[in-house]
Amino acid sequence: MESNRSARRRRLADRVATAGVAAGGLAVIASILGILAFLLIEVWPLLRAAQVEALPAIPIEGSAAAALTIDEHLTHVATLDPGGAVRVHARDGALVFERSLARDGEAPIVRTAAPPGDSTLAATTADGRIRVVPVAWRASFHDGVREIAPHLGDTITLDMDPGGRPMGAFAARLDPETGDVFAAAQLANGALAIVRRARETSFVTGEVSETTTRTMLAPAPKLTALVADRAGRRLYGAAQEGHLLSWDLRASETPATATADAGDSPITTLALLLGERSLLVGQADGRTSVWFEAGGVLTRVREVAQLPDAVRAIAASPRSRVFLAQDASGNAGLYAATSGRELWSGASPSPAALAAAFSPRGDAVAFSGAGEVAILGIDAPHPEASFASLFLPVWYEGHPKPDLVWQSSGGTDDFEPKLSLTPLLAGTLKGTFYSLALAVPLAVLGAMYTSQFMHPRLQRFVKPSVELMASLPSVVLGFLAGLWLAPRVETAFTGLVLCALVLPLCAVTGGISWSLLPARWRARRAAGSEVFWYAILIGGGLWLSVAASPWIDTALFAGSFPQWLHDAAGLRYDQRNAVVVGIAMGFAVIPIIFAISEDAFSNVPQHLAAGSLALGASRWQTVTRVVLPTASPGIFSAVMVGFGRAVGETMIVLMATGNTPILDWSPFNGFRTLSANVAVEIPEAPAGATLYRTLFLAALLLFALTFVVNTLAELVRQRLRRRFARL
Amino acid sequence: MRVGSSSRDAIGHVMTWLCGGTLALDLLLITGLAAVLAVNGASHFWPRPLVELRLAGGAKLLGAVVEREAIPDDPNGGYRIRVHVGNRDLGGQDFRWIDEREIASRGEPADAVALERLEWGAFYGRMVALRRAETVLAQGQDAARAAFEPLHEAKRAELAAIEELERGEIARSSAEIERLRLAARRLELSESSGAERAASEADLAGRSAAANAAYERAAARLSALRESFLAETVELEAADGTRKEIPVGHVVRVVRPNELGMAGRFALAFSRAAEFVSGVPRESNTEGGIFPAIFGTVLMVFLMAIVVAPFGVLAAIYLREYAKEGLLVRGVRIAVNNLAGVPSIVFGVFGLGFFVYGVGGSIDRLLFAEALPAPTFGTGGILWASLTLALLTVPVVIVASEEGLAAVPNAMREGSLALGATRLETLVRVVVPAAAPGILTGVILAMARAAGEVAPLMIVGMVKLAPALPVDGAFPFVHLERKFMHLGFHVYDVGFQSPNVEAVKPLVFATALLLVLVVVATNLAAILLRNRLRSRLGPRSIG
Repeated sequence: MESNRSARRRRLADRVATAGVAAGGLAVIASILGILAFLLIEVWPLLRAAQVEALPAIPIEGSAAAALTIDEHLTHVATLDPGGAVRVHARDGALVFERSLARDGEAPIVRTAAPPGDSTLAATTADGRIRVVPVAWRASFHDGVREIAPHLGDTITLDMDPGGRPMGAFAARLDPETGDVFAAAQLANGALAIVRRARETSFVTGEVSETTTRTMLAPAPKLTALVADRAGRRLYGAAQEGHLLSWDLRASETPATATADAGDSPITTLALLLGERSLLVGQADGRTSVWFEAGGVLTRVREVAQLPDAVRAIAASPRSRVFLAQDASGNAGLYAATSGRELWSGASPSPAALAAAFSPRGDAVAFSGAGEVAILGIDAPHPEASFASLFLPVWYEGHPKPDLVWQSSGGTDDFEPKLSLTPLLAGTLKGTFYSLALAVPLAVLGAMYTSQFMHPRLQRFVKPSVELMASLPSVVLGFLAGLWLAPRVETAFTGLVLCALVLPLCAVTGGISWSLLPARWRARRAAGSEVFWYAILIGGGLWLSVAASPWIDTALFAGSFPQWLHDAAGLRYDQRNAVVVGIAMGFAVIPIIFAISEDAFSNVPQHLAAGSLALGASRWQTVTRVVLPTASPGIFSAVMVGFGRAVGETMIVLMATGNTPILDWSPFNGFRTLSANVAVEIPEAPAGATLYRTLFLAALLLFALTFVVNTLAELVRQRLRRRFARL
Repeated sequence: MRVGSSSRDAIGHVMTWLCGGTLALDLLLITGLAAVLAVNGASHFWPRPLVELRLAGGAKLLGAVVEREAIPDDPNGGYRIRVHVGNRDLGGQDFRWIDEREIASRGEPADAVALERLEWGAFYGRMVALRRAETVLAQGQDAARAAFEPLHEAKRAELAAIEELERGEIARSSAEIERLRLAARRLELSESSGAERAASEADLAGRSAAANAAYERAAARLSALRESFLAETVELEAADGTRKEIPVGHVVRVVRPNELGMAGRFALAFSRAAEFVSGVPRESNTEGGIFPAIFGTVLMVFLMAIVVAPFGVLAAIYLREYAKEGLLVRGVRIAVNNLAGVPSIVFGVFGLGFFVYGVGGSIDRLLFAEALPAPTFGTGGILWASLTLALLTVPVVIVASEEGLAAVPNAMREGSLALGATRLETLVRVVVPAAAPGILTGVILAMARAAGEVAPLMIVGMVKLAPALPVDGAFPFVHLERKFMHLGFHVYDVGFQSPNVEAVKPLVFATALLLVLVVVATNLAAILLRNRLRSRLGPRSIG
């Protein structure tokens, strides 16, 4: 009985252990695959469409407003109705504040506008004035609860037309920090009046002085819309029949005017994107396009949106290059201007809205309809990213043509992120190419010699030393490449080129001299010993080439090869360049390729070579015609594994290149690889931001690339092994 | 086997030679690399003679000659030498290029001293006097030299006392103050109320006052110690006659390299190497030792080994002993194999997203809410670094352990089972012991790989300079959330981010040499172990 119970206990323990081992083993394997899943999960939001939901509308008094602005917590909305009444409503519809811009006994209001991003409301009067009122939202905390108190600043009145006539299109901007005001309006005679009011606070007395300047611009055709940037440097106007006018107000008294043709369809709306360098043009045929100056010419850079009806309102986000456009029949769409991506489209919550405005945080759009302000909550965290913007050329602001650029951050908040992975992919392939170009011949031929021409006694010494080289930390290789090798390559570049000629000569000399030695003396040495003799000669050749390079430089390149390269060929020579990386990364890759191809060579069944030799083939014929073809899949697999290693290598490229993300195949330039880019940028990238996820995408690309290549190599190797088993 | 076949295939011969040449070049490159590292690394410790140069213009300078090269673009083919002149606090430049034609005379004065200091780098000159405040303790070279040694030893002891006070009492009381601050914050966040809360608040306030008082007392003692530490100065004269007083306490070592014989030089080099390995960094890592980096590397690698060994072995046992051979297992094996080829930076990115922000962020919110927004586990640290590297190296352990398990002859398993043992007993008593060397090889290889890996760690936990080791005397003794220093990162950081790269190059070479020695020694151990295993059980491939 006793032994029976013990046996049961043992069986139970065994079963538990089986389950435990299976669970544990599967968990480890699952967690490995979980890495891939995690990377995918982190990258996925990049390409997800925007989440848009209608929030409860705010009921308002009065008629539909053509101008509105909303506070960042969406607690209040300020509207300016066509009659000139400024009203601030709380979320629940309570009227908090009211003021009329049309003063009693004065001329009525003609047009109204809300300059984007300024939190101001503006209107023109029938007697040629512009009135601007700043809206401030003051937050205070009571017992940890935030309260927003709306505050209307003093109304600023600017005399635009001394003749006191009603005006056409106008634009008014108020800089909230300096208090400077800029206004432009088309007068009745077609001329444009520009008025600037600058405020200066005296350092000595603290007095505030105001200076107002007026400029008149030449008459223009009748304008339907006018927008200006905040500093009043640029003014854009839309004339009928699709003409777009722009004025450069920066320099002179007589500003430069330019006209561009936007097509037959009349322009209905103009707006400025974040940064105020790009103009959004909405037209009657429902198109919205992005324009900016490329090479000094206002150019239609891309067409972003196509709505069914005439574009009525465009609202640009103050946080990113995202804008919302709505047409006359109530269709709306949310678009990313840089990538041209449509983030969302659908029915507007307020089909008849006259105007739309983004909230200061860019997380909601308010639409002013009749009797209510509808609000659309927007969650579009990664508008910059799309397949096209990550991999294809994108026309960035200020660039003369579409470009592939990686530049993830800039000095200002309104910087346009340029997240093209293509230059980094190209850099990765460039580094891989140069390192494999060096490593593949050195490793494969070296492995072939080791396995086919070397005595096992020597093999036992050669193979582990190469294997040990594989364990060299890449940070050490990178350090040596960047600080030791790079300056030496710079001074002795010609010597290095010369090596390609000299070293083979050294090897041949070594071979000839070795074969001239007495056969009896040679026979006493293990096959392969001659390699050490070659090494001495090659070392000498290397030294000679390097030592000769100053002479060659003086004779051929006027003393300095990099200087000559610059003067004669116009190429820049970076000290840390692709050649240096090629050599350093070659060091990292050689042992891997060597070990796998050596395996492939030695696993070729002996009887194949023996048969070939018995039929009278020479040793070299046997190696090239019999052994090499049989082992070639293994060599392919070795090269693939080496490729995988070179693609992902980080520290060497980080330290031995200048890390400039440029697209250039010149061996004399540096580059930036995907991996180095991740290492450089991810510590600074805020978690969850577009840059962070883009770097995850770079990691995912590396993962996928190496995984595919390695799997291919592994499958080839397994097939090879089965073939050898049959032979 | 080499067939010296007839001359009918001359091309074959030439190709064979070329082929041999590539192998020769491979070997040459490996040796060259090792030689560059060894020579440059060792030269960091080797004392160079101090050379006094009198230039044609009458100026004099004293320093160590570092290199000599042909002057670029010089039509007359002149040479120049680079002299390390030190005395950064006087001249500002560490190195000077001197055209050899400008040198009027050159000598190696026996009385020239090289001072290694805590601040400002090396000082080259001659000793003039020894002072305490206004009193002259010794005047003249020989007297100063004689009086210097005992005084210097006393100062070294004082320095040790200061460091002990800083590391001991001061560190303890400031840790206590921080702990009380966090406790107060926790109380603030908690829902408790009434008398109990008031009592704890009063208790905390009292303890806090006591801790502050203890800190003040220790700080007062420290400043008194510091004052006496800096009381004595040694006056030195630079080559150009400028005099400089340096506190004796700031002197690390006085060397008269021109007096040293071969044995003395070796002794000095060894003493410098010992300081390098055991000392802490000075002058923003550009001088002193690298002990914290060695410690951080070793601790991280061992933490990683503790994690990776059981899991890797478990997975290997499952794949080899329990799972049924089939498409799935073959696929998994390929996946595991290839994971070893996935770039290490990818693991770093994963570690940052999953461990640091994911797991670490959650731990912070749940357990360390009082310290927020300053992250405790939600930032890079040694634990996350070890776990990331464990993921990185688990394929290495799985592959090697599988190989070890596969090499155990089936007869042994069958014998054990035939005798009535269960599978578990067979596994634990027979298979695993037989495969142990293979498993150990895998773990050692994983450790070697982890020790040399830098890229993922840059993301998940390393810092330039960690003031506190991850292990110390304060509860809970091992601080897994702390950042740490790492040899490999030290090489990158000091070599590429420091403002004076030329001056720190020897130190970086020495660090790199140490790192390579550690990694190569670990690998060598694994290779030898594997070779022994292979010769004992005979070669067997897997897959």
